[in-house]
Amino acid sequence: MPKKKAKNRPGEVKEATISRRSVLKIGAAAGAAGVLAPSMLTSKEALGFQTIAEPVRCVTPTNSPPHHPFVDDFTAPTPAVDQPLTPQPTEFPNLGAGEADRAPHPRWTQFTPAFFTYDISAQPGLHQFHSDFGQTYVWGFNGQYPGPTIFGKYGKSGIVRFRNNLPTTTTTFGRNEITIHLHNGHHGSESDGFAGDFFGTGFWKDNLYPNVYAGIDAFGGNTGGDGVGDPREKMGSFWYHDHRAEFTLPNNVLGLNGMYIVYDSTDPGNESSSAGSLQLPGLYGVTDFPLILVDHTFCPTANRRTELVNAAGGDKFIVNGKIQPKLTVRRRKYRFRILNTGPTQTYDLTLIKPDGSVGTMVVIATDANFLEHPIPVDAGANAGNSNSTTAPIVPGAVRVSVAERWDIIIDFGAFNAGDKLYLKENRTMFVGNPSPDPLPPGLNIGNVLLQFNVVNTELEFPPDTPPIPATLCTYPTLPPTDNNWEWQFVLKHGQFRVKRPDDKVGCTFDPDHSAHCILQGTCEEWLINNNIASAWTHPVHIHFEEFRTLKRFVNGVEVPVPPLLSGRKDVSRMEPGQGALIKMQFRDYSGRYLIHCHNMAHEDNFMMVRWDICPDQASLDSCIADQQVCELEMKAKESYREEVA
Amino acid sequence: MDRRELLTKTFEPHPASPGPSRYTNAVLRNQNNEAVKFYDDLIRGKQCVVNFMYAECHGSCPAVTQTLKTIYRQLKDRMCKDLFFYSITTKPEDDTPAALKHYAQARNVDLAGWYFLTGEPDDIETIRFRLFGMDHPAFDSDLTLHSSYLRIINDGRNSWGMAQAFASNRNILRRIAWQDPPKSYAERVVEARARQILIEEEVKKYGYRRDVMS
Repeated sequence: MPKKKAKNRPGEVKEATISRRSVLKIGAAAGAAGVLAPSMLTSKEALGFQTIAEPVRCVTPTNSPPHHPFVDDFTAPTPAVDQPLTPQPTEFPNLGAGEADRAPHPRWTQFTPAFFTYDISAQPGLHQFHSDFGQTYVWGFNGQYPGPTIFGKYGKSGIVRFRNNLPTTTTTFGRNEITIHLHNGHHGSESDGFAGDFFGTGFWKDNLYPNVYAGIDAFGGNTGGDGVGDPREKMGSFWYHDHRAEFTLPNNVLGLNGMYIVYDSTDPGNESSSAGSLQLPGLYGVTDFPLILVDHTFCPTANRRTELVNAAGGDKFIVNGKIQPKLTVRRRKYRFRILNTGPTQTYDLTLIKPDGSVGTMVVIATDANFLEHPIPVDAGANAGNSNSTTAPIVPGAVRVSVAERWDIIIDFGAFNAGDKLYLKENRTMFVGNPSPDPLPPGLNIGNVLLQFNVVNTELEFPPDTPPIPATLCTYPTLPPTDNNWEWQFVLKHGQFRVKRPDDKVGCTFDPDHSAHCILQGTCEEWLINNNIASAWTHPVHIHFEEFRTLKRFVNGVEVPVPPLLSGRKDVSRMEPGQGALIKMQFRDYSGRYLIHCHNMAHEDNFMMVRWDICPDQASLDSCIADQQVCELEMKAKESYREEVA
Repeated sequence: MDRRELLTKTFEPHPASPGPSRYTNAVLRNQNNEAVKFYDDLIRGKQCVVNFMYAECHGSCPAVTQTLKTIYRQLKDRMCKDLFFYSITTKPEDDTPAALKHYAQARNVDLAGWYFLTGEPDDIETIRFRLFGMDHPAFDSDLTLHSSYLRIINDGRNSWGMAQAFASNRNILRRIAWQDPPKSYAERVVEARARQILIEEEVKKYGYRRDVMS
C-alpha cells in the first residue's frame, strides 16, 4: 500500500461525498484503494501493476525463516470502497467493453439499480507477512492480502465488478484465470463463480449480489425484516474467493480471497440500541474483527523478498495476513468472525487464559448464520459443546475446517489490565524465537495464533455491549421433503470422487454435465457420506442455500447432532467415517451450482460435482436425460474393462 | 493456431519451467527402441498427456488406452505437432520396447506422437513420483493408484492439469484444452462472443445456462 500516506490528507474527504453510508466510508477513507478514481482502473492502466517483479525461483526450504512473535498488529482487512462503475452495469454482458461472457443477470429489474457498487481488481501486490520478513509477492483483490472486506446490507443490492488484472504471463504457481464465488450467497448462477466459468486477463465480470434473504418468491417484502425474502434466512459473515477449477488452491494461496459482511437491523454493524438490534459487538475493526486463518511456508530469495511456497500446508500461522500478531483489547466483549481459508488444514481453536486454563468462547453464528441460542464453549462446564468429536479431541476447542466460519464472542471484561490471553491451535508451527512475554504454563509458542493484550477501557472507547441475548433468531420450519439423494465422498483408484446412489464409479467435476437435477422451489434431503474406508476429512460445501443437519452418523451408526453443528450451515465437515443427513431448499433462482470438498487440494483434484436447479418440468426432464452422461460414459468404460479382463 | 505455424513451431519452455529438475532427463526407450531424454525430447516446450500403464494389465489400463485412442482421433490435427501422448510402463522389467510395440500394434495405437515408454525401473519410479506423487506414502507407494490419472503438461506455459481417464471424453478434451497455449486477448474476445450467442439461446430454451452446446 505505498500510496496510503500521500493521498490520505486530513480534511480532504468531504462529508457530502460520503453521504450514503458514512460508517462504511470512514473505514474506507483510511484505506488506500479508495483514492483510485474508477477511470484509473481500466485494464490498460492496470497493466502498470505488472511492473511488480514476479518472484525469483527459490528452492523449497526445510522450514520458513524464523520470526519474532507478537511484533505486528492484528488489524481488520481494509474495507472496499463503494464507487460508481464505468461503464454502467448491464443485464446482458457488455462484451464490447471487456466483460466476460455470462448468462444474463436474473431478476435484473427487481434488483437494479444496485445500491452498492464495487470495482475490485485481482492483481499482483506486495505484502509483508511479518516485519522480520521481506516483501512477499501476492495476488490480491486490489493487490491486498487478504482482499478488502466488502460490505452489504439486506435489502440493498450490490454489484461487484471483478477485474482480472493478473499478469498475462506469469512465472508464479497461480493460474491467471479467475471466477469469483461469494460463499454462500443466495443469488443467480451467473454470479456464483461456477468453477468452469473462469475468465482470463483483461476481462472483467459483474456479479450481482442482491443481498436478500432466501425465499424471495414465497415471502416477498414486508415480512418484518429488511428487504425481501424470509428474514429468518439472515446471514452475516460471507467470504469471496477464486474458484478456478484445478487451480483454486494455488490462487487462494497467492491471496485471492476476502471477507464479505452483510448487515441487517438485527445485526447493524454498530452497537447502538436501534430497533431490533441484538446489540452484539459490532464496530468493524474496533470491536468486530474478521479472523482469517491460513498457514503458509515462506522462502527467502536473493532479492530480499520472502516468497510464498506452493504447498498444501505451511509452517507459519497467519491471521489476517500477519504471522503471530498481537491485538490490544479493552475489558469488554469482542466479536471475531473466524474464517479458515485453508488451503487444506483443520484448526482446533482454544482460548488460553493467563493461568494456562481454557477460556470461554461464545459461539453465536456458524457459517454466517446466527445460532438460535448462543453456545458457550470451554473445557469446564461447557466442554460438552466442543465440536471436536474425533481425534485429536481438544477440550474446549472450536474445530474449524476449511471455509467454515464461526462467529464467536470473547468477553475480556473478566480479565485485568495487563493480562495476556492467547488463541491456540493444536498443530505446532516453526517460530524460531521465544515469546517476548512469559507464556501461560503448558503453552508452546509454536501453537499460538494470536496474542490478546488486555488494557483498561479508555473513556473514548465504545463501552461494553449488553449481555449476549439468550435468543438470537428463530429458524424457519422446513417444508416436507420432495426428494432424497445421497452423495458419497470417496477415494477410488487413488482419486477423489463424488458418488451418487447408483454410481458404480463416481463422478468427477464436469462443467458441462449436471450430476443431479432439482426442480426449483422444492426441498431435498441429502445424505452426505464419508464412510467408505476413508482416512480423510472432507469439509463438504454446498453452494446457494443454507442447510439444516437432521442426523449425524459415525460409521453408519446414528449419533446425536453436536449442538454446534445443529445450526444452519453451508459446510458440513465430514471426518473419516462420518455422515450427515441434511435438508435444504432450492428457491428463487435456477442454474448451475456445486457441491464439493472444500479442502482445496481435494476440490482441485476433482472432488466436486455440478448440480442444477431447473425452472420448470420440461427443463428438469431435459436435465435428467443428461445427468446420466458421466455414469453412462463410465459404464461404457467399465464394461470395456470387464470385457478385456 | 494455424497449421503452418504448427509445422514451423519451435518448442520454447516457459521461463519458469523447472525443467529437468522436476521432470528429470532420464533416458527412456520408446516402442521403436529409440532413446529419448524425458525432459529435453519429450516435455520441453510441448503440451503432452502422460499416463502410466503396463502391457499385461487387464484392469484399468486397456480402458485408459481405449480412451486415449478416442481422444487421439479427436485431436488428430495437433498430434505429433504440439501435442503428444506418453504412456509409461510401470513394469519396465517385463515391458521391453518390443513388447510395447506389440501392445501398441495389437490395439491400433502405434500412432504418430504417441509414445509407449520404458526405461530403468528407478528412473520410471522417480518420474512417477514427480508427476503423480501426492506426498502421501499410502498413495505413492501403491502402483495401481496412478493408473487412471492423466497428467496434462504444457511446458510452454509451465502449467499442469489432470484428468481422470474414466471421466467423459468430452471432459478430458476440455481439460486438455485448459492447458492449451495462451491465447491473445483478441482471440479470447472472439471466443467469448461466440459462447455468448449459445448461452443466450440456452437461457431462452431451458430457462438457464446449461452448457450443453459444442
